[in-house]
Amino acid sequence: MPTDRRTLVQSIVGLVLGTIALMVVIAFALLAGEQTRMRAGALNMAQDTRLAASALLRGMVDAETGQRGYLLTGDKKYLEPYNEAQFTVSDRLKGLEQDLAAEGQPSDLHALNNLIAEKLSELHQTVSLVEAGDSAAALARVRDNRGKLLMDRIRDRLQPISDAADQRIMKLTGDLAFSALMLRYVTGTGAVLALILGLTSIVTVRRYLNDLRTAHGELEAFNQTLEQRVAARTLALTRANEEIQRFAYIVSHDLRAPLVNVMGFTSELEHGLAVCQREAPKLMGATWDKAEGREMRAAVSEEMPEAIDFIRSSTRRMDGLINAILKLSREGARVLAPEPIDLATLFDQTVSAVGHQIHDKGVEVLIHKPMPDIVSDRLALEQIIGNLIDNAIKYLSPSRPGRVAARAFLQSGQVVIEIQDNGRGVAANDLQRIFELFRRAGAQDQPGEGIGLAHVRALVRRLGGDIDVDSQTDVGSTFRIVLPRQLGANPQENG
Amino acid sequence: MSEGTPVSIVMIEDDEGHARLIERNIRRAGVNNPIEHFLNGTDALRYILGEDGSGAPSAHRHMLILLDLNLPDMTGVSILEKLKSNPHARRAPVVVLTTTDDKREIDRCYDLGANVYITKPVDYDGFAGAIRQLGLFFSVMQVPEAGS
Repeated sequence: MPTDRRTLVQSIVGLVLGTIALMVVIAFALLAGEQTRMRAGALNMAQDTRLAASALLRGMVDAETGQRGYLLTGDKKYLEPYNEAQFTVSDRLKGLEQDLAAEGQPSDLHALNNLIAEKLSELHQTVSLVEAGDSAAALARVRDNRGKLLMDRIRDRLQPISDAADQRIMKLTGDLAFSALMLRYVTGTGAVLALILGLTSIVTVRRYLNDLRTAHGELEAFNQTLEQRVAARTLALTRANEEIQRFAYIVSHDLRAPLVNVMGFTSELEHGLAVCQREAPKLMGATWDKAEGREMRAAVSEEMPEAIDFIRSSTRRMDGLINAILKLSREGARVLAPEPIDLATLFDQTVSAVGHQIHDKGVEVLIHKPMPDIVSDRLALEQIIGNLIDNAIKYLSPSRPGRVAARAFLQSGQVVIEIQDNGRGVAANDLQRIFELFRRAGAQDQPGEGIGLAHVRALVRRLGGDIDVDSQTDVGSTFRIVLPRQLGANPQENG
Repeated sequence: MSEGTPVSIVMIEDDEGHARLIERNIRRAGVNNPIEHFLNGTDALRYILGEDGSGAPSAHRHMLILLDLNLPDMTGVSILEKLKSNPHARRAPVVVLTTTDDKREIDRCYDLGANVYITKPVDYDGFAGAIRQLGLFFSVMQVPEAGS
């Protein structure tokens, strides 16, 4: 299933939106959790308040109960709760005060405090009277109803506090239940969302993985067919190349055989002509110099020698061309032998080989060193550089002293060799022609057959490189060769 | 030439022009031995090795063979191979005359037992000179019986 760009964008947008939704849900869950925690805390405090209020009232009631028991029986044993309450009540009152303050409720218990103090003092008075043996006075104090009144007022004070706390407890309990429910919903939603997101992610990832695997397989298959195609193409090219070389070889030989005849029989003719030239004047005697002998004289001494000369020069030229083809076809068949070559030394040797020409023409040759190392075929490289230096010296401009410069450098892992001259240059429309076999450019004032550069280009290409020229008429030319730094371990072998 | 044992020159050359030029130059060098000319390999082999290929007809011949390598029906190299592997023909001197100056082919011919290898130069004077010298060479060389 191929996945296009649109579905990819859709998947990414979907996943991002899903993640955002999940994060919102998580935030809500955190908020709900916090709210629940706070509500639980408040509920706890309200319950504390409620308990503290009850405990305070119970303490007061206990004190009063103890007093009553003592008053009735005179038994000190009944005073225990009363005595205990003497100590605990103020603590409990303080506790209630703190609980209310913690809840943020009005906590001014001043009036209640006074009432409790009054009640405790009333209890104390009666207990003191009994202890002093005046039970009747104590009972009279009880009967005057002041103690009951105080107690009622304490109850009245505490009751609203308890009721309010009860109300708060009820409300908070409800709220807490709601919070818990909310939390459950939010968590549930989050879980569902996470599940959907997870499943979507898995499906998406699986889909892309499948696509990737399919693409990988296709690529592999393509690579394999590509390799096969390259191999087939290389084989075809090698065969074509071999075919061309065989063709060149056969043609050059078969052309040579008739040429041997033409040259040979031309010589025979010449031989015969020499006999005629020698014998005709003798045989013709006086007629030779007269008008009747004019035709014979012209044929033997002018026309035939001229014809033979033309035949000779043409066959000689043809022989040169055939030899050139033969040389190229032979060079193409030679097995290349890569070896490390010091380019600077190679240039020095090449230049010193044409030292006399350089000296005769007064050419200045500059070889920029150092030059990079190269692993290539020495013979081919010698011929390439030799031909180019030869050409540079050969096609100088007569109007200025010759200058030839050579440099070599590395460029994107390849060796670039430049040979620059200030010679007569090549016209723009001849730039590619000069690399063709038997083609020459410019004034034909130098000997040559138009083979050198064709040979150079064939060699450079065999070495896995290419050659180009940049030139301007009457300014100079720069030949630029790009060669691999290391001639392939498997050079094409054709012979 | 050796007295009483006429040496014949067997020329295997498909190009009649070349054959004519070779013959003329041999004659000019003063060599008058008979020349048997064959235009193809098949006829030449039949003459030298006989119909059955045994070589018996050449057992008592004194021959010198001029061989061109480019023949229409078979390569000169295979003719050379057949001659040099035949007990009756193998001692006959073979002069290879061809347009090829390919070094490997020259080496191959010498390896197979060719005695002389001459490249036909397009430069006719050189060619004529070479043939004449070959003629002089004929006049002093001892040609053994092809077979013993």
